[in-house]
Amino acid sequence: METKQITGQDRRVCPSCCDIYEDDGKIILKMEMPGVEKENLDIQIDDSLLKIHAGKNTLEYKDAKYLVREIRDADYHHEFTIDDTIDRNKIDAKLNQGILTLTLHIKESEKPRKINVVAK
Amino acid sequence: MALMRWKNRDLYDPWADFKQLQNEINELFDIDRVPTSKGLYDRSIALPVDVIETANDIIVTCELPGLTEKDMDVSITSNVLTIKGTKKDEREEKKGKFYRKESWSGSFQRTISLPGSVNAENIKADFNNGILTITLPKKEEAKPKQITVNVK
Repeated sequence: METKQITGQDRRVCPSCCDIYEDDGKIILKMEMPGVEKENLDIQIDDSLLKIHAGKNTLEYKDAKYLVREIRDADYHHEFTIDDTIDRNKIDAKLNQGILTLTLHIKESEKPRKINVVAK
Repeated sequence: MALMRWKNRDLYDPWADFKQLQNEINELFDIDRVPTSKGLYDRSIALPVDVIETANDIIVTCELPGLTEKDMDVSITSNVLTIKGTKKDEREEKKGKFYRKESWSGSFQRTISLPGSVNAENIKADFNNGILTITLPKKEEAKPKQITVNVK
């Protein structure tokens, strides 16, 4: 049985399931990307555009007959616009069992501050 | 050249290409990315699976992102394969606000009737990068055999 891994530039793309939530001064993006290896992940940040492209490994079996085919044969692609409150230099990415977690830190200057009232 | 039983009914169907085009167009509107709750057990979510038949094996792949091998349970009874498990919500603390929530959590189950009998002893199941691959070797009698014709 011969297998071939296909992932390329001209492949179809689709967005993956994505959760975005705020947690303790951080914005967390969690994307479900089954079949993605760390090497095929491309995360770019260009001014206010955050681009995520993930190549999905699909095994192509020789002389195989698909009886059921429900898994989409496409790469994952996401584009997000981020505003100035996000610290561009503090973005962490983690890939674990098909789940990509991006942690975007909010700039210190944008966080809510407590102003002490001094009574005279 | 192997001699095969005639089964490709669509070969001389003049509308086959149109049907294919229609299916492709319909597929374009199908991008909801969320697993449907159709199937035998409509209470649990049906995950997308692929069932591939090769000459020697039947291969079942299933997308299970974020799960560990402890969360899933794969069993086989004669030729009915069942994949079930629970997908946990990874967020322990429920504070913070959601901007978007597309992922799901809960229990899931898929039951697949395999096309032929398989060798239950040599089933392999691998889990890698959120994809479960189950390789079920076919029994010897189900494999295609080459028959040589002797010319007298």
